[in-house]
Parts: sequence; C-alpha cells; structure tokens
Amino acid sequence: MTDVASPSTSDTESGAAPTTPKAGKRDVWIVFFIVPAFYTAFGIIFFALTRTMPPPRPDITTAQMVDFFENHSTTIRIGFGLLILIVGGAGIANGIVMYHMKRMSTGSVLAYSYMGGMAVGALPGCLLVAICFLTATFRPGRDPELMAFLYDLGLLSYVGSLGCFSVAYFAFAIAILYDRNEIFPKWLAYISVWQIVTEILAVPVFVSRAGAFAWNGSISFWMGTVVFGIWLSCVIMFLKKATELEPVDAPPLD
Amino acid sequence: MQILAEAEDLPKTANIKTQLISLWTVPVFGVVFLIAFIAFPGFLPPMSPNLTADQVAAFYREHTAAIRFSMVTYDLLGVMLIPFFMVIVVQMKRMTTQSHVFAYCYLTAAVSGATVFALANIFYLVAAFRPERNPELTMLLNDMAWITFIAPVGMIVGQNLLLGLAVYFDTSQSRPRSPAGPVFPRWVGHFSVATALAIAPAAMAAIVKTGPLAWDGLLSFWLRNGAYAVFLVVMFFVVRAALQRQAVSEGVAA
Amino acid sequence: MTNTEQTTAELDQPKDTGGQRLPHVPGDSHMWVMVLGDLFIFGAYFVIFMIYRTMAPQEFLADQQHLDVTVGVVNTIVLLTSSWFIARSVVAVRAAEYDRAIRLTYLGGAFGVLFILTKAYEWTTEVMHGYTMPSGDFFMFYYMLTGVHLFHVALGLLILGIVVRELRNPRKRRTSMAEAGGVYWHMVDLLWIVIFALLYVMR
Repeated sequence: MTDVASPSTSDTESGAAPTTPKAGKRDVWIVFFIVPAFYTAFGIIFFALTRTMPPPRPDITTAQMVDFFENHSTTIRIGFGLLILIVGGAGIANGIVMYHMKRMSTGSVLAYSYMGGMAVGALPGCLLVAICFLTATFRPGRDPELMAFLYDLGLLSYVGSLGCFSVAYFAFAIAILYDRNEIFPKWLAYISVWQIVTEILAVPVFVSRAGAFAWNGSISFWMGTVVFGIWLSCVIMFLKKATELEPVDAPPLD
Repeated sequence: MQILAEAEDLPKTANIKTQLISLWTVPVFGVVFLIAFIAFPGFLPPMSPNLTADQVAAFYREHTAAIRFSMVTYDLLGVMLIPFFMVIVVQMKRMTTQSHVFAYCYLTAAVSGATVFALANIFYLVAAFRPERNPELTMLLNDMAWITFIAPVGMIVGQNLLLGLAVYFDTSQSRPRSPAGPVFPRWVGHFSVATALAIAPAAMAAIVKTGPLAWDGLLSFWLRNGAYAVFLVVMFFVVRAALQRQAVSEGVAA
Repeated sequence: MTNTEQTTAELDQPKDTGGQRLPHVPGDSHMWVMVLGDLFIFGAYFVIFMIYRTMAPQEFLADQQHLDVTVGVVNTIVLLTSSWFIARSVVAVRAAEYDRAIRLTYLGGAFGVLFILTKAYEWTTEVMHGYTMPSGDFFMFYYMLTGVHLFHVALGLLILGIVVRELRNPRKRRTSMAEAGGVYWHMVDLLWIVIFALLYVMR
C-alpha cells in the first residue's frame, strides 16, 4: 500500500499553529472514522430512541411492560431498525482494534481473542435486544405474557451478557501490558480491568429485580455504562493516535 | 518452560508468553466449569425433554438459586475458552505446507460456536429470572436453552474437521535448518476427526425426544459433552507440547 | 530519607545537582491511574451503599447482625499484616536487598492467600445459615462488595507474583516495579478497611 502522507488535509483550523503532519495509512483512517460515527449513532439509538439506556424497570407488571412497548413503539422501531442496518459498524470498530493489536509485539493470539469475544457479544449482547424489541412492537395486540417474555429476554441479555466482553477486555489488557511496541498506553490496560470489574458487578441482574443491582440499577447498570463510556472514549482516542503513528510505508500485516 | 535470558525482550518471546497465558486459561477455568456443571441441578442426571410444562416450571422454582449460580458462572466465564482456541489458530498458521485458510475457517467456527453457547446460557438465565412466569413460557425457554446448548454441533464439528484436515496437510519434515517438523503429531488429526464424529449425532437432539439421541440421552448429552471435555484436556497437553517446540525452535526457550 | 550508600537501586533514581535524591512518586504513573480510578469507582459504590442504607436503616441494621464481626476483624488484621510485609519488601528493594525483598513479598502474598481462605470460610458459613444474595439488599451489597474486593486481592496476588519473578531476575530488577506492586496492594488493603467499616462496624 503506497500512499503519500498528506499533512493537514483534514485540518479545518485555518492559520492555526503548525500541527505534526498526520501519517498513517489511508485505508486505516477510513476505518477509524467509522468508529466514532458508529458509536455516536449507537448512543442516540440506545439512549434516545429505543429507551434501553437506561433500561425500563424489571419490577413492573405485565400490563406496564405492554404499555412500555406501546408508548415507545415508534421510536423503538426507528431506533432498532436503524441499528440493524448500521450494526456492521460494531464489527468494524472491533476490527480496527484487532488490527492495531496485531501490530503489537505480542503476536496474534490475543488480537484473535479480542475479536472472538466481541464477535460473540454482538449477538446475545446487542442484537438480541433489538430483535426482541422489534418483535414485540411488530404486532400490537399480542398476548401480554408474550410481550413480557420478550421484555425479559431482551433486557436481561443486553445487560447480562458478561463473559464475551470480559474475554475481550482480558485479552486487550494482557496484550497492552506485554506489548513493547507501545501501540497503546499501559494505563489503558488498567481501564480494561475496570471494565471486567463492572461485568462482575452486573452478575446480580439475574437475581435482583430492584435496587442498585437490578438490570437498571445504579451499580449494575449506571456505573457500568459510565466506565464503558470512559473506556470507549479512551480507546477511540488511542486508536486515532495509533493510526497516526503507524508509518505509511509499514508492510501489511500477516 | 524456561525462557532464555537473552530472549526475554524479543517480540517472538511475547508471542510465546501470550500463547502460554491463553493456554493456561483451560485448566484454570476448566475447574470452574466442572464445578458449575455439577452445581446445575439439571445436568446430573440431565433433564428429560418429556417433562410437562408444570414440571419444568417447578424445576425452575425449586432450584432457582443453583440454576442461577451455575449459569451465571458460565455467563461470566464460559467464553474464556476462546483464547485457547485462538492458540490453536496461531499454531495452525505455523503449518508451513499449506495456506492459512483452515486456520481462519477454524477461527470463525470457534467464534460462532461460542456465540451459540452464550445464547443457550441466556435462555436458562431468563427462565430462572422469573420462576413465576406462565409454565408454558418457562418450558419454551427451557426448550430453547437445551436445544441451543446441545444440538447446534455444526460449529464444533466444523472446527474439529478443519483441525484434522490441517494436521493431515501438515507434511513438513523435520529438517536441519527447520527442525520443528509438523506442528501437531499426526494422531491429533485422527483424534480431532473422531471427536467431530462423536459430537455430530447430538444434532438430532432438536428432533427426537426419547432415546439416546434426545438431549438427555447417551449420545446427545453424555457422549457429546464427554467427548468435548476429553478433547479440551487432551489438546491442552498437545498444544503445550507444540508451544514448547515452537519456543525451542525459535530460540526463545531451552 | 537519605541513604549515603549508593546501591544499584539508588543509582537509577533521579537526583538534583547536589546528589540528593529528588522526591519521586513511587511506582509508575500507569499504576496510579489504576489505583486512583479504582478508588474512585469503589468510592461511588460506597456512596451508593450508604444511600440505600439510609433508605432502609432498620432492615440493613437487622441483616448486619448476621455478620460475624470477629471474622471481619481477623481479615482486617491479616490484610494489614500482609501490607506491612509488602511495605518492608519495598524498602528492601530500595536498599537492593533483593533476597530479603523476595522473602517479604512471599510472606505478604501468603497473608493475602490467608485472607482469601478466611473470606471463603466466612461466605460458606453465611450461606449455610441461609443468608445468600437474594436475602435482601444488605446481603446483596455484602456479597458483591466483598466479591469484587476478592477479585482485586486475586489480581494483587498475580501482581505480587510478577514482582517476585522480576526481582529474581538480575536484569529486570526495578524499584518502580516493586513500588507499583506495593501501591496496588496498599490500595486493596485500604479498600478492605472501608468495606469493613461500612459493612461490619458501622451500626
């Protein structure tokens, strides 16, 4: 891949102080910019449209669950309908992380493990809630008990899919700590360990129906979301740095 | 494995170390999986597909705590087998007399297989979340859980056939300049194929409800899971030996 | 803290023009990110615990009676002792007495293992008396806070193991590594003290 590094082509500040010329490969840049774009859309979808962040409560009656689906039917269908179209962005985000992990001195096994863990998570941890909620809002007037079933299955799988992501964070942390090529800073590994901690703290969602440890609880949900937001922001920031610092003429990875 | 002092900081040493860590997840988490397996009240002996809805509901009501404990353990840790399978992928990529296509197919099969397991796990947990649910729905979830757990063996079968093929294709001879020889001994190929054949019949568990092919039967439950466990144990030692050979041939260990 | 004897550990520390060792932050900055962030996260958990406690003080108080304060005290002493050993081992590393440092780290780790065993015993007793996670909000907090803390102890043992392995290797001995391990371990100890105070003592 031969490409001339074009300094400051995307520099929108005119007359600003001279910036270090951006290097990095153009195809990697394309992939990089998809990441924040996807997660912005993801945030809008999950927070504003589909009402899954924060999730509605587990300790309501069947009738109230039916009401939830009826009241938010339109935004759920727009939101998750959009998600199932753009969810390729998740795969892309995982792919570029894996790409930079493969540039580490630690070999491929942890990069593959990261990819594997995240790929597993895409189904029970992301798409299943979309499918359940889309199905629930697909046919109004369905038996309320079936709606409640879809409510439980969707939300419990979304908040409660723990191990797949834990594997990915585990692989990520170890790879960073062992890496001599300094692709990512060491403290990002420790933030990934916090992510594992929040997964552990989500274990009670399968038991609690109310309080701090329910699937909408301050600890099992909110703190997990906050730490995830921090982690994701750091990862995006360092993906950008890693992409910048990669020499344009570096040979393609194996 | 004794890492040589002069090789301490080389990238290829980190590659060996990260593979070692990924390898050792098998015994560490294997013990946990065994405990969770024994703790689940529906594995020893396995639940019958012929229970009525009320009996299934009673099962989830009476054993809620044990079901949750066992399945939460699998939720949090089950996917931790992925790094081990990724070590096998990396080892398959070391086979010199073939392209890497089998390795990549193995990777995707392993990840898909883990996804299926994660999904089955969620179904058990959702069933145990609200034991007071309509027994018909509890039975629905239980059916989905068992069928998803036992029957979709295609991924595992595919994985093992691919490993077998890769071993058969690995005809590299041990030579003075590359003393490594084949990555795995030839019997591993036979063993993988035999494992695939032992696991394959369990696909029928989604179709029959009595006899050895039902999800509680000799073939679909005991042979399928037993063969899988034996495969993990045996391959742990096989991969460990292969890693040792890799380390020695690359000058990382003595 | 002036040590006139120039040891290898001393030589790699920054000094001013007068040869006096400059004050330095022990350990490496990455570990401090971990420690401070962890303290912050746990702090949030503790605040949330207090909020729920304030909402149902009688229920929490009643459940709290079922905890064995003696076992809690034992655990606190065990962990404090292990921290003491680790602190002494860091001092030994700074004085380049590596064999002593390794021994002390082992001792610290051994007390860490003792902590885990005591905790396992405590949990078993509670479960056998029928107090499990669904027994109420207090016990949910109890198991989750002590459980996550236990995860940190296990991680700490892993870190101590790495410290020992690096201390053993003459080419890899670094004060900052031992200090980083010490900082993490002290954090684990500090967290336990707060957990002990909140869950066992505060009535």
